[in-house]
Amino acid sequence: MNRLAPWGRLVPLAMIVVLAAAPLALGTYATTVLTRILVFALLAASLDLLAGITGLASLGHGAYFGAGAYAAGWVAVHATPSGPVTLAAAVAVSALVAGVAGSVAVRARGVFFLMLTLALGEIVEQLAQSWHGVTGGSDGLYGIPAPHLAGAVLADVRWLSWYVLAVFIAGMAVIRGIVASPFGAALRGIRDNEARMRALGYRTYLYKLAVFVIAGALAGLAGGLLAAQQRLVTPADLGFATSAPVLLAVIIGGEATPWGPCLGAAVVVVLRDVLGPSLGGHGSLVLGLVFVAMVFLVPGGLARLRRGVGT
Amino acid sequence: MPAWLDTHGISLLNGLAIGSLLFILAVGLSLIFGMMDVLNLAHGVLFLTGAYVAWWIAGEAPSWPGFLGALAIAGAIGALAGTGLALVIERLARRSHLDQALLTLGLALIAGDALSAVFGNDVHTINPPAGLDGSVLVFGKAYPVYRLALIGLGAGLAAVVHLVVERTPLGALVRATVADRHMVLSAGVDDRKVKLVVFAVGSLLATTAGVLGAPVYGARPGLDGTVLILALVVVVIGGLGSVRGALVGALVIGEIESLGRALLSNLASFVLFGALAVVLVVRPRGLFGAATGARS
Amino acid sequence: MSNARITRRRLLSAMGVAGALAAMAGCRSHGDQAGGKRIKVGLVVPQSGVYATVGTDMQHGWELWLERHGGRLGKFEVTTVIADEGETPQTGVPAVQKLVQNDQVDVIVGIAASPVALGAQSIVAEAKKLLIVGNAGAGALTGGKNPYVWRTSFTNAQIAAAMGKHLAGHPDAGPVYVIAPDYKAGEEVIRGFKATFEAGGGKMAGEAKPAFAKTQDYQPFLTGIQASGARATFCFFAGAEAVAFVKQYAQFGLATQIPLYGTGFLTEASVMTAQGDAAIGIQTDLHYSTELDTPANKEFVAAWRAKFNAAPSVYSVQTWDAANVLGRALATATALDGDSLAKAMGAIGTIDDSPRGPWSFENQSPKQKFYLRKVEKRDTGYVNAVLADLGEFSPLP
Repeated sequence: MNRLAPWGRLVPLAMIVVLAAAPLALGTYATTVLTRILVFALLAASLDLLAGITGLASLGHGAYFGAGAYAAGWVAVHATPSGPVTLAAAVAVSALVAGVAGSVAVRARGVFFLMLTLALGEIVEQLAQSWHGVTGGSDGLYGIPAPHLAGAVLADVRWLSWYVLAVFIAGMAVIRGIVASPFGAALRGIRDNEARMRALGYRTYLYKLAVFVIAGALAGLAGGLLAAQQRLVTPADLGFATSAPVLLAVIIGGEATPWGPCLGAAVVVVLRDVLGPSLGGHGSLVLGLVFVAMVFLVPGGLARLRRGVGT
Repeated sequence: MPAWLDTHGISLLNGLAIGSLLFILAVGLSLIFGMMDVLNLAHGVLFLTGAYVAWWIAGEAPSWPGFLGALAIAGAIGALAGTGLALVIERLARRSHLDQALLTLGLALIAGDALSAVFGNDVHTINPPAGLDGSVLVFGKAYPVYRLALIGLGAGLAAVVHLVVERTPLGALVRATVADRHMVLSAGVDDRKVKLVVFAVGSLLATTAGVLGAPVYGARPGLDGTVLILALVVVVIGGLGSVRGALVGALVIGEIESLGRALLSNLASFVLFGALAVVLVVRPRGLFGAATGARS
Repeated sequence: MSNARITRRRLLSAMGVAGALAAMAGCRSHGDQAGGKRIKVGLVVPQSGVYATVGTDMQHGWELWLERHGGRLGKFEVTTVIADEGETPQTGVPAVQKLVQNDQVDVIVGIAASPVALGAQSIVAEAKKLLIVGNAGAGALTGGKNPYVWRTSFTNAQIAAAMGKHLAGHPDAGPVYVIAPDYKAGEEVIRGFKATFEAGGGKMAGEAKPAFAKTQDYQPFLTGIQASGARATFCFFAGAEAVAFVKQYAQFGLATQIPLYGTGFLTEASVMTAQGDAAIGIQTDLHYSTELDTPANKEFVAAWRAKFNAAPSVYSVQTWDAANVLGRALATATALDGDSLAKAMGAIGTIDDSPRGPWSFENQSPKQKFYLRKVEKRDTGYVNAVLADLGEFSPLP
């Protein structure tokens, strides 16, 4: 359970206030980066629900993120740019895809679950590449308009940032709610000892499928935000190029902690998007050094996904 | 029947050849995973190192001494790298498996960047050594001789590994550790030396696979990622820690990529991961995966 | 895990992120200085990943022009900020965003990959900055829908149409089999080829689309080509795929039976060295070759060899021309914002001193000549000898 010190309850509140005030103080570029961080933080938190809380480390979580992004983008381009409608479409489509994939995936365990989710993610990415009538193929879905909210167009970087922040807070609230509920306790029980939970009478397959769909739907919500922020969705947003950094963000930040995945996402986004372009092509070197450093310098080790992978 | 063989016989043969190459590159990963439960994500970059060594030492049109020299040097580099990796991972012995995988991934990224810095970003190819660089007529069509040689090499390697694992004391230790590590430890065996040897041998197999695969795959940035994914797919389909599984898995993937692509040309892009998904759904532990509870 | 560790890791990460954000917040740039004309150009090229060699040529092309013109474009002193495009829009689009929003550049030049260029469109449209695309070939970038996006490279359909027309004019080339990777550029090539080829009376023997960036072994497709009764193959591959395809085409015996044709990228730059003798005799079409016999090209090739000790490529020429074109626009532009520069770009007539020959803008992309080339082995290495001038082609979408 979340045993924060008494003053620790104020930290999330303080962070929200800081994040809300930030666009007023920061320039255009910093606000853009902050918005990107919030999008990826929500994605990482949704993966943490699956990987950290339930012990199901997935290498294909980007598929549901991307499915939501494509749905939101497609609706914005062809139907209506209304923010809430695009987000609803994103959640619906990603939940559907997660439901279909999850019904197959959660039968496996450990590293086989990891590889199966990878395979499913790659299949979805290839679908996006081949179904060019709808997704635009390898060129991606470009020219997505800025979201409309209650009649206003959120083209300004700061308003977009607040819009993303609001949805982010809502998503995090849902996740925290699940974690604190009896359902969340059951998930942790499945992570720690699934056989025992089954012996106690829990239908673990249904629980795992449910959290897979919920995590997928939340990832899709983050995807809808991506479509609004990046105005472009490409197959890279669905495949390994997204799934791997997200899992790494969860690992770096600390799984099953309230803000760990969000901080991990911030580290990954800053490294890749802010520093990356100026590294003269050596981005992967820096990333590798960061991984090695994290493994050795963080005391007590990165013992996270305890029973999700391997024995 | 003969007409079918005429059209598809060469795809069938090619599947064996590609499968043999995949076996050569995946067997090291399977051994390491079976022994240490570590997903060695540096496997791909070891392969690429071997490929670059082949290009650098043997050149674009290698002679036999050059090619064999490249094999020897690549093997030595692999064994050294494997020993180093084992020692580094040993320091994380009590951490989770994902930590160890993260470490190997970090090292792989660093090594990949180093290879690009040393050898540049151009695509390099090498021809097979003299005598193996031609083509013969098979089923009425030309087929590269080197790929036929790969079939022989793969079979030979499978035989050697099988002999070592099944007939030698070291092999017995490997099998026992794969089946139940804790039992081996409580029997008083120092598994650190065994781990070191297996890691060194597995990495040696990876770099030599790079040399042997260079006439087919070449050497270029990004090849390490491609090869790693292929090896992972083979190992997972075949079952972790099982050399027989790696062989069968490799041949299955080889046939699917050749014959499957020839028959299902519209679905060519989905063939590899679709097959992986199907196998994992039908047999979640892989074809020859351990049914015992030691690994999930 | 104890609370202390969580707090320490969280604190470290939070400090790191806060530090990065603060550093960015403090970054303000200065726009153009009054008095003493300056321009800040953002150069977006791939410096890592599979397109890295393309990016190197693109970067060198830009830098060589500046070096030979005293670091100036016309009267403007140029500051170049380079950003790594990477392999996908996930890295490319943030790179463009960083240049526009953080470094406050006046113009963006470069971009090798089409998805990145398409994603950059909305960024430059909102910021009202000029974008000169140096390589991306997506058809969707033409059409003048976005007044800020100009291009000095080509469109995929344009190159294919040139070869389609040529092969249709040689009916004894027989039925042609078309093969291109399964992605947008491949489809545009196939479509562009079929449009002129079938219109000219050509017969198709079949077509295939191997998985893009995932195929290392082409045997199933090569067997398909042999079984189709084709008398020629037209293909579109670049980089590592071009190397693998050409080598295997020879290894499986097709090179002597079924002549291979392709778009120029099949045998461009360092790809030829890797292909070795397997490339000899392959005919391709492109809007440039190092063997073009014009004074402008001879001077360009000599300057390139002197500085880089290698031969230039089409990628070099495209950014060299981008510098040329930007210089011409700056001579007549009233200001450095996107609208003024776009207007000035529209007023440029024919660019007559380019190494590729004379060309002009049509719908903001080049209308240019295409050359039929054949790979030959010379003392200096492999070259694309120019066989014929295929005529001028418009940038088709």
